[in-house]
Amino acid sequence: MNRPHRSSPVRVAIAAIALALVSGTVSAAAPVVVVDDLGREVRLAAAPQRIVSLVPSHTETVCALGACDRLVGRDAWSDHPRSVLALPDVGSAFAPDLEAIVALRPDLVLVDEYSGAVEALAPLGLVVFAGTPQRLEEVFDMVDRLGRLLGAATEAALLQGRLRGELDGVAAVVAGRPRPTVFYEIDPSPYSVGPDGFIGTLIELAGGANVVPPELGDFPLVDPEFVVAADPQVIVLADAPYGIDLAALRARPGWSSIAAVREGRVFELTQAQSDVLSRPGPRVGEALMLLARLFHPGAF
Amino acid sequence: MALSCLAFAALVVLAAGVGSVRIPPAEVLGAVGRGLWATAGAVVHRPPGGVEAVGVDPATRVFDTIVWHIRLPRVVLAALVGAALALAGAGFQGVFRNPLADPYLLGAASGAGFAASLAMVGGGAWAWLGGLGVPVAAFAGAAAAVAVVVALARRGWTLPIVPLVLAGVVVGSCLAAGTSFVLLAAREQAAGVLTWLLGSLAFASWGRVGTLLPPVLASAAVLIAAARSLDVLQLGERTAMQLGLPVEALKLTVVAAGTLATAAAVSVAGVIGFVGLVVPHAVRLALGPDHRRLVPMAAVWGAGFMVLADLVARTVIAPAELPVGVVTALVGAPFFLLLLRRKVAS
Repeated sequence: MNRPHRSSPVRVAIAAIALALVSGTVSAAAPVVVVDDLGREVRLAAAPQRIVSLVPSHTETVCALGACDRLVGRDAWSDHPRSVLALPDVGSAFAPDLEAIVALRPDLVLVDEYSGAVEALAPLGLVVFAGTPQRLEEVFDMVDRLGRLLGAATEAALLQGRLRGELDGVAAVVAGRPRPTVFYEIDPSPYSVGPDGFIGTLIELAGGANVVPPELGDFPLVDPEFVVAADPQVIVLADAPYGIDLAALRARPGWSSIAAVREGRVFELTQAQSDVLSRPGPRVGEALMLLARLFHPGAF
Repeated sequence: MALSCLAFAALVVLAAGVGSVRIPPAEVLGAVGRGLWATAGAVVHRPPGGVEAVGVDPATRVFDTIVWHIRLPRVVLAALVGAALALAGAGFQGVFRNPLADPYLLGAASGAGFAASLAMVGGGAWAWLGGLGVPVAAFAGAAAAVAVVVALARRGWTLPIVPLVLAGVVVGSCLAAGTSFVLLAAREQAAGVLTWLLGSLAFASWGRVGTLLPPVLASAAVLIAAARSLDVLQLGERTAMQLGLPVEALKLTVVAAGTLATAAAVSVAGVIGFVGLVVPHAVRLALGPDHRRLVPMAAVWGAGFMVLADLVARTVIAPAELPVGVVTALVGAPFFLLLLRRKVAS
């Protein structure tokens, strides 16, 4: 809205006040229109002051844009930054408590595009933005769109710059170093991640070489034999919070021969670390740093 | 009968009054009154933010939205889904003369599940249907699965029961495997698909009530009209035929009507188990096996049971929600066993 430019804040402020006086209205901002991931035009007449976020990464982004105090509700999984835990919990993204959301009288609701929530909330007269980043690059676009929606374009630009700097910085450190082969386990089925998805891209940028080929998709179920044959030098266990550890891997037939298991380069993530790595939000730099430290312990 | 209807009415009032947001009873009644008034007056009722909101002050407006646009459509939808499933169950149990028959016996659930999961995963291709993509796909999938089963099992113009049930089970397993594959292939959307498969009334709306009402009323009319013939059929197919009953036509009619009700219910609420199996039995145990009473009362009991189950699903762990299918089994099983026990004892 009437955000002062860094060059001449006083003059802009005076101009804004003069304009407000002339036009007889204080909310001079034009309506903001942002297209969400379902192709819907999300229209806001003024910067939203009562936001409900049903997506943990959006909760983090809203706070990173300096608008944490404009959140009035969150989904059950939103837990970062810690202050949002004090907000009312309106259920999970896929089965939200519609009554509770309406009772909060939000002027903007952020939802996952696959949750079906938009079809339930939009007819109730609520302004709903549906979308989540699926790729690392999409995080930047999401920061931009949320920034415009929130009337925080400057903060969004700053956040984008910071994230770009963090990603480039880590990339510069690991550049030229030998890339260890990596297997990233999401659950003991074992599900893994493809190189093109969000986590796959982070592995690549952190100087690792994902053993899963791209044609298997972003979240493939892989044959345990395949992992043994691929013989990764590093294994990251995102399912460690569910009790999978080095001992469990040793007990799997043939897995004790894998280089990562033999050399003890199996990393058991905590729930907090696993969250950082699975949320395409303002902590992508932190996520990248976390992986880069695992892959290149001597470099940092 | 009158008692059942009274109990059902009381349940609806209770369900509309209770939810995760505490709303004074007077406000609930007011909201219902204003909603009815607005609808009756053909006034477009716009929720908060809109120009034509019914309530005067902001709090009342929020209550109106919650009661009239969230709770009531959900309660009515639950009642319709419960009635549809119980009707289909009563019809199938009668026509197959098999106490284990349920609305999903002929593959309707698996057909709907497979088609709906494809529609959710292939999202964009269905965009032209708007929010109706999944319900339309589910309805078509359910109807198509049963049509295939009937085509596989028919012998000329007759429909032998054993091949029909076998074909239903096999086609069902095949489609369920297809659904599992879709789930594995599209992890990103898996959570949404699973929530739908487990059955949910969370996203009810008057629009969905409107799409569900005609098929449920139609199949209720057909099944109630067929009740007398179903009674005769219980003497055995041969005897019924000798008594002049058009047995094959009856079988086809009941299968078609039951499938219509099932497909409609599944398309708006996903696969909710147990209701169609147990409610007809409960009615039979309580009121006797006469289909002329059994069929309509199954609809009333099914509706009431579903409203109750959904009330439990959305309140016990609010703001989180239990899958309503879990509640139907948890609430239904002990209740049914109690009835069964009393019957055995007497």
